[in-house]
Amino acid sequence: MDRNYHIFSDGCLERHNDTVRLVTLDGEKKYLPIEKAEAVYLHGQIDYNTRLVSFLNKHGVALHIFGWNDYYAGSVMPKRGQTSGRTLVEQVRAYDDPGHRVDLARKFVAGSIHNMRSNVSYYNRRGHDFDSILTTLADTRDRLAETTDVAETMGVEATARRAYYSTFDAILPDGFVFDGRRYNPPDNETNSLISFANSLVYANVVSAIRATALDPAVSYLHEPGERRYSLALDIADLFKPLLADRVIFRLLNRNQLTTDDFETDLNSCLLTESGRQTFSKAFEESLEETVEHPRLDRNVSYQYLLRIEAYKLKKHLLTGEAYISFKRWW
Amino acid sequence: MVYIVVVYDMQADRTRLMLNFLRKYLTHVQNSVFEGEVTEGDLETIQNKTRETLKSDESAIIYRMSSEKYVDRMVVGEDPTDDARFL
Repeated sequence: MDRNYHIFSDGCLERHNDTVRLVTLDGEKKYLPIEKAEAVYLHGQIDYNTRLVSFLNKHGVALHIFGWNDYYAGSVMPKRGQTSGRTLVEQVRAYDDPGHRVDLARKFVAGSIHNMRSNVSYYNRRGHDFDSILTTLADTRDRLAETTDVAETMGVEATARRAYYSTFDAILPDGFVFDGRRYNPPDNETNSLISFANSLVYANVVSAIRATALDPAVSYLHEPGERRYSLALDIADLFKPLLADRVIFRLLNRNQLTTDDFETDLNSCLLTESGRQTFSKAFEESLEETVEHPRLDRNVSYQYLLRIEAYKLKKHLLTGEAYISFKRWW
Repeated sequence: MVYIVVVYDMQADRTRLMLNFLRKYLTHVQNSVFEGEVTEGDLETIQNKTRETLKSDESAIIYRMSSEKYVDRMVVGEDPTDDARFL
């Protein structure tokens, strides 16, 4: 699997001798092996030109840009390598058929609830008492079957997520409070971390969808919005408990991130550069972790699980094979 | 995926040919030494391209390990591969 490269320095990113080179402001030159790159994440202030963009395009490498507020600023995506009118038609058909759409929406939520529950039960076994939350999550999961439209399914999702988030204050170490999800911009350290983590998950899903002929803007659980890849939101929700929240808990509970890694402004709280760096490293390590896949009968990385999710959805739409959303099985 | 170490010996004014080529796939660790994980297909490309590039009195040696896990790598001093993905 190709890798993500994260650039935190300020400087200039350019094509040089058929690969990509970063020239930092103090003149240091660093090379990035283009043949092994999946995507480049820009966290610093970087200049680049069209020559670089068309070079990345040729190699199918995405550029994800991170800025302020909720971090994700946008992507420069390579031109679509995969196009299939039939996939798009089937994708839209499924959206337009209320029964089919709510069925997919329910599956996304069922997967999310399962994965949230697996985090809660992990901490339940480690000295917390989350029995009532586990029951609530199981109840919401059961209520899913009765939902008749997407709005109702969203409502169940919101109930589950509220119950899930209520465990955060107990799991987090002293000095970190959560106190409900707030963003645009996040107002405390925990919210800031969740925003940053979620935006990394989101960008990775955007890359994964790009590997298929699926259109990232046609979604099922989230309303296909303007100006955003709402299908990436559908899929990212499945993976946030595993890829975002677990890494957050681990880093905070091991003191690898402290309140010094944040900058608090009038009504925002954002990660510092070194905080983002620490988090990105842990995040990439977790993307590289592998698990044995029962159906593929081999080890796959967490990053590849994102890709599999997009493939499964596409296969469901094209062949009608049942879509089974990602549920942590280990 | 395989883990490879490539070392090469070329006329001083020609080393940049290998340098520029290998930078696309691997991490430059020392003068004329590269290492990293590549696919079997990339390894094939590297071998072929290397064969084309070298002149008769020059050579390159590729050490191949079935995976990064099987490399017992000890670095004395600063490790040039440290955080090659976080620039």
